[in-house]
Amino acid sequence: MAAIRDSLDRDGYERLSRALADVAVDSRTGELRVSGRPGGVFHFRDGLVVAVESPGAPGPEVLLLRSGRVSGEQWAELMREPGAGRWPEAGLVGHGYAGAIQLRIVCMMAMQDAVFAILAGRVEDCELLDEGRPLAPVPHGETPVRLLQEATRKLAALAALPRPVRPDRARLVPTPQSDDVVRLLPASQQELLAQADGRRTARDIAFRTGRSVYTVTVEMSRMLQEGHLAFHTGGTTVTRGVPVAGVRPRVPSPPAAPESRSAGQLPPRVLSALESALTMSPQETPVSSTGPQEPPPPPTVAPHPRAPDSIHAVGTGTPDAPTQAPYALPTPDDPARDSLPPVPDTTPTPADVPDPAESRSLPRRRPGVSGITETLGPGRNGTSWKGFFRLRSRIRPSETGV
Amino acid sequence: MDHEALAREMRGLREQVTGITDTAVAAADGLLIAADTAETIDAEGLAAIAAAGLGIARRAAEATGRGTLRKTVAYGSHGCAAFYAVGDTALMVVLGDEGIDLDRLHQETQPALRRIGALLSVTATADRKA
Repeated sequence: MAAIRDSLDRDGYERLSRALADVAVDSRTGELRVSGRPGGVFHFRDGLVVAVESPGAPGPEVLLLRSGRVSGEQWAELMREPGAGRWPEAGLVGHGYAGAIQLRIVCMMAMQDAVFAILAGRVEDCELLDEGRPLAPVPHGETPVRLLQEATRKLAALAALPRPVRPDRARLVPTPQSDDVVRLLPASQQELLAQADGRRTARDIAFRTGRSVYTVTVEMSRMLQEGHLAFHTGGTTVTRGVPVAGVRPRVPSPPAAPESRSAGQLPPRVLSALESALTMSPQETPVSSTGPQEPPPPPTVAPHPRAPDSIHAVGTGTPDAPTQAPYALPTPDDPARDSLPPVPDTTPTPADVPDPAESRSLPRRRPGVSGITETLGPGRNGTSWKGFFRLRSRIRPSETGV
Repeated sequence: MDHEALAREMRGLREQVTGITDTAVAAADGLLIAADTAETIDAEGLAAIAAAGLGIARRAAEATGRGTLRKTVAYGSHGCAAFYAVGDTALMVVLGDEGIDLDRLHQETQPALRRIGALLSVTATADRKA
């Protein structure tokens, strides 16, 4: 593909090259932030590059984790060790997960791969900042010129292939081919075939497999030439769910509900049913026979969670609008009331009624709500641990028959 | 209802920010509206989880006086999942791999969230008028 051969962002390359040369001449310590796509950050120490990080290339942590050398649990353990910081080099070496030299090689490879990814993309601007915090700096830095030369050499090698692809653009899919053909491919190419789904670029697959972007890009370019991969046509499919027209504002959180609802919005039959239920309550909560225009006292306003008027279709109904009760509660003078089976007392007790001031704060557990009353009961006069051991020492072997 | 415009926004965001692997838009109650996800991801389940997670985070923000919830991010060893509230009606999920630049993601997501919110509200208003 001729596109990549002409795609080297020459202006961006010149911009980056000048900024790196300035840093080297002044022997500066700090970081050079490269904006663009994918962009990245160069970390300097005394004019030498000690680390390069870019979203376009996997860093040392990804290379170790995704390649399977270190598991996620092992990494989490290492990060918990004292002095681990963001890059637990001592822990990795100490636990035998990698050697010190291997780690240096991994860090150097990740640094060179990040420079390749930055140059293969688009460089918009370079900004010199004070010293940052590189994730995994190499002990002996590299000169910027040498890093740029290496990245340029890789770009030229990629562009020299018959069908080169861009690391962050091309989304390829496997071509239909028999299993016998696939079985003859090297394991690395079989893995690429499994990962290429038309959504992932070479950069995405490099992250998933824990390999360098350059290697994956070159291999995918070769597989494209050999006919194992092809460009995905038609773009990615977006799954459709419910129609957007069905979207309604979310139901407000429960604490706001008792304040926003007034007695006038309750159906009269529900009110009378509540009134009758409260009259039968053994706690004799004072209830005034209020009409729809007069708000009842606060404890009686809060409906019980099982009351029919508290049922909402979440996300589809208007929160403030009264919902039609699915069934009618019997009124006191309803003749059919006596024929109904006995209804359990659902009168809100003072413990059930949420205090509006309290409900705005963090939820707190009331004693006994969970039903576990053992720890709340009075202390038993049983034997303590000390007493138990004293008692045990007093038991003689002759008494136990042992 | 403009599902195509919504799909363009979601695809555009994935193209724009390096490291985004999947996106999904769902209603506040967890019903999926649109998903640009790989086949290995259950988009319906993701939408439901996102709604539940955002609801809990919203309650936590209210209870602790943190103001209006903006986003939550779940970090894993193989990437992250960012959940954004789209106004009061919907939410957006963005999945990213280990290389994603979260600062840039949050920066680039804001205009997309505004446009998606406008798309949803315009459609809902037109539907109510009809």
